[in-house]
This record gives sequence, structure tokens and C-alpha cells, in this order.
Amino acid sequence: MKNSKAVFACLVALVIAVGLAACGSSSDETNEATNGGVTRPANGPESASMGGKVPTIVIRNGEPVGGVKQLEYDAGDEIRFEVKSDVADEVHVHGYDLMQDVPAGGTVSFDFPAEIEGIFEAELEGRKEQIAEITVNP
Amino acid sequence: MSFLPFAHALVARQDLPVPAWLFAWGASIVLIVSFFALSVAWRKPRFEEVRWRPLGAGLARGLVSAPAQVLCGLIGVFLLGVALYAGLRGTEAPDRNFALTFLYVTTWLGFPFFSALLGDVFRPFNPWRALSRSAGAGFRAIAGQRPAHLPYPEKLGRWPAAVGLIAVVWLEIVYGSSGGVAVGLDPHAAATAALVYSGYTLAMMALFGTEVWCERGEVFSVYFGMFSQLGCFGVEDGRLGYRRPLAAATHWATLPGSAAVVIASIATTSFDGAQEGAFKSAIESTFNWFADRGVDLTTSLRLTDTIFILLCFAGVSLVYLLGVRGMRTIRGAPSLATLRIGFAHTLIPIALAYLVAHYFSLFVFQEQAQFTYLLSDPLGTAHTDLFGTASGGIDFRLLSATTIWYVQVGALVVGHVLGLTLAHDRALVYWPNYRDASRSQYWMLAVMVAFTCFGLYLLSVSNG
Repeated sequence: MKNSKAVFACLVALVIAVGLAACGSSSDETNEATNGGVTRPANGPESASMGGKVPTIVIRNGEPVGGVKQLEYDAGDEIRFEVKSDVADEVHVHGYDLMQDVPAGGTVSFDFPAEIEGIFEAELEGRKEQIAEITVNP
Repeated sequence: MSFLPFAHALVARQDLPVPAWLFAWGASIVLIVSFFALSVAWRKPRFEEVRWRPLGAGLARGLVSAPAQVLCGLIGVFLLGVALYAGLRGTEAPDRNFALTFLYVTTWLGFPFFSALLGDVFRPFNPWRALSRSAGAGFRAIAGQRPAHLPYPEKLGRWPAAVGLIAVVWLEIVYGSSGGVAVGLDPHAAATAALVYSGYTLAMMALFGTEVWCERGEVFSVYFGMFSQLGCFGVEDGRLGYRRPLAAATHWATLPGSAAVVIASIATTSFDGAQEGAFKSAIESTFNWFADRGVDLTTSLRLTDTIFILLCFAGVSLVYLLGVRGMRTIRGAPSLATLRIGFAHTLIPIALAYLVAHYFSLFVFQEQAQFTYLLSDPLGTAHTDLFGTASGGIDFRLLSATTIWYVQVGALVVGHVLGLTLAHDRALVYWPNYRDASRSQYWMLAVMVAFTCFGLYLLSVSNG
């Protein structure tokens, strides 16, 4: 009985260690995500009125320059970004289901409140090319 | 460059990863619950007896009467027909076509949830069973005798269903996601596959008998039937009755290959949860390895995903078999084969918990589409409005991210507790000595903790 209790204690210790390691690594990833290349506007409604820099997604040859743009917001923020494209297509923000046509060489801008939480794709509808991933945290 | 597209054609919104603090809470609760389970454990098996008793006479007979069965069968055949017609003749846009949402969300995800709550609700609606039974009745009327069937090779058991289950998921998330663009499985391909499957199923039912094949090989019957064992409603002797919850599950895994069915369920859900998170970089490097060797991109992606889905099956099997092997070391243990079959049903709650955790939000959101525009405009022509709901849509505000997180973590914790309950109960059957039974359960506890924590981990990894 003593022996089995010891085995069990070891097992629990192992599980806790694995759990903590997983916790550690997942929080590391979150940090990485927020530091590395993520555009994160300041929270609160004032960021919109302060006229902070609006992120622009540049489309060259029908593909986003620098890969799929990561945009992250908190619920209640104002989601603002521009798409500057060298091809004519329709920009579609999934989930929010917003669509705007962009002419070749033109720019369209999006400005809408972040009222749905989750991760959403923005794509060039005609080409089925994902150009941005929009994350809205609660 | 983004090589790897979204897996689901239908998903306009993905869940946010569970935050680290909730992961920690979830894992802690799992451990505390596990300790608690060991200290309060009962000493005599409680779930081996199903204790079925009929519901009130009218209800018990009415719901399973012949007219009700014919009606349900007709509904099932009609809905399959609508799905096939929409898939073959409707729009190629997966999210605007009735077929894909009906087959892969309403049916494939809906029936596990509702079967666990209400019993084997798929059985009366099973279109292939209904067709095959009518054919059998026709044969009897004309030939004046029962159709003769081949004896089913009992060694095969439920293996055909296990293989079929992986194939069904493979079609959607491996074959379908590999177009190189974010389109996914097109409705035409889904309907074609459903036609092929219908032909195959009817042939097998004719060869081996309808009920024999439903019990062993028919993927949907076996898969949904597995979850229905958890619930408290069941049919016996043509009457609907109430039974002890979880108890029917203890008699489910007696056919060979049953463990493979439940493992396949956990493995395919794990793969789907991990492919854009935990396994993403491994999948990308394998994909690049193939692509660098001149394999075209679509084939590379399908090969890679196929390998990973099989690896998931191997990994989940390995964890389960290690637990079983461990129990063998306890004094008085039955044979390895007995243990392997004997504990398979304890994974059913884990499989259900994985499904809820991964697909709950998708189901809630996509069913809004099912009952609005997909119902009124099944072909997605934009000209049809059968029920006046064609202009409806999905309200993504219905569930907040926080609600989804709590449901996900809650499902895993509850699944863990139910799995432990069944495992402890089964151990008491094999080890009459209570102490040995408890010691054997350190192994199953480790297995359950591994699955639950892996499940939590999958939810907490960013999809990015």
C-alpha cells in the first residue's frame, strides 16, 4: 500500500510538472504573439480619436506582402485597417461579413466596432486568398 | 506565404485559445477531482446492471411502434435525398449549400450530442437501415421466406466502422482542406461520397443482414450508437425505457474493434484540434519535405495530413495500451486481451468531451445557418425562399468567447470524471479485492489525466 501511494505521488508530481510546463510554454507563445509582428492598437475608444496609425495591408500580385497580416483587438475597440491592392477584387471580412470592392491600384478602408469575439479571416474573395487574421479578445 | 489553408470550409469564425489561467484552473480541478475519486471510491460494481424499466405504456410503445418507425425511416430517407440532391445540383460554395452543413455539422456533430442525452435517436432515422428493411420486407412478401445472409466474420467486429469513421473525417478535413486554397470539401464531392457510401452500405446490409451490419460496420450507427450508451433512455423488447445512466456503456465494447472506434474518435478530434495549433509547425515541415521533393502541393498536404491523422490514432492507442499493460502488473489481473476490451468503454465520455470542446461553438453557430438560409434555399441559388428564412444568417454574438471557454473546459472535466467512474467500476469486476482494484486504477487514472490534459493543452494553444 505504501509503495503504491509513492507511485501515485510520483505520477501526480509528473502530471503537475507537465501541466506547468504546458502552461509556461503556452504563455510564452502568447507573449511572442503580442511582441512579434502583431499590430495592437491601444485599448479604449480614445485610440480612434487620437488618430493612431492605421495598419495597411499591401497586396502585390494578389498576395499580401509579408504574409497574412495579424491584427489583434479587444472587444469594444474600433477595428480599422486599409487594404491597398494592385489587383481588383473584393475584400471580405468573415464573421462580420463585411465586403468592399477594391479596384486595381486602389485602397479601401475598413472601420467597424469589434463586437464579435473570436478569430476571423479577411480574404480576397475572388482569389480565395487570405490576407489578414483578425483576433478579437473578450 | 500561407500554404496551409483553413481546415473547415464552413467556419467563418474560429475559437480563441483558452487563456493560460483557465488552463491552469482546468488542470488543477482535474487533479483534485481525481484525488477525490480515489478517496470516496465505492467497493462494489454499480454500473454493470443496466436496471432498465419501461416508461409509461403509451409513450413506451408509441415511440417505437411500427407506424412511428416507418415515419422516421421516411424522414431519414427524404433528408438524405435532399442532401444528395443539393450536393449534386446546388451551388459549389460550401457554406451556401445545404449538403455540407447537413452532413458534417447537423448529422455528424449533432447526433453524438443528442444520442448521449436521448438514447439511440439515429437508429429510427437511419436511411440505409430503413431502405434495407423495406427491401427485406419486399423480399419476404414476394419470395415468402426470409432473405438468406452470409455469416459475418466475427473477428472483424467493429473494425469496418473504425476505419470508416477515420475515412469520414479524412474526407472533410484532409481531402477537403487540401485544395491549396481556403475552400475545403466541395458539396459535389461530399454528395458523391455519400452516394458511394450508400451503395456500399446497402450492399453490406444485403450480404450480412441489416441489423448485423448496423451493429458492426455501418459507421454512423456504430458511432452514434456508442454515444447513446451513456444516456438513460434505451429500447428493450420493443419498448422504450429508462435505465441507469452510463450503465449500458459497460456492455458496449464486447465486439472486437470497439476500442478502435472510440480511439478513432478521440484521435480524429485531436488531429482537427491540433492541426492549426499544437501540430502546426510539425505539419508545415513535413509538408515542405514532400514539396521540396517535387510532390505537388495538394498531394503533399494530403499526404502530410494523412500521416498525422494516423499518428494521432497510433498515439492515442499507445497511451491506452500502456495503461492496459500497466494494469496487467497488478496481482490477479485478467489477460491482456480481456483488459484491452474491458476498459474501452471508459473512453467514450472522453471522446464525447473532446467533441463538445472542439465543436460546440461551431455547432451552435452553424445550426443557425442550417435553420435559416440553408433550409429555405438548400441549393444556394439565391432565388429560392421555401420557408421565408433565406435572408437569415448567423449571429456570432450568441456566444461570448468566455462562455465558449467555460463550456470547453467544463466538458473535459466532466468527461474525465465519467471516464474515471466507469474505469473504477470495471476494475471492481476484475479485482474482487478492493485494494487491488484501486491500485490497478492508478494506471487508468494516468491515462485519463493524460487525455484530459492533452485536451486542455490543444484548446490553449494559439491557432496562429
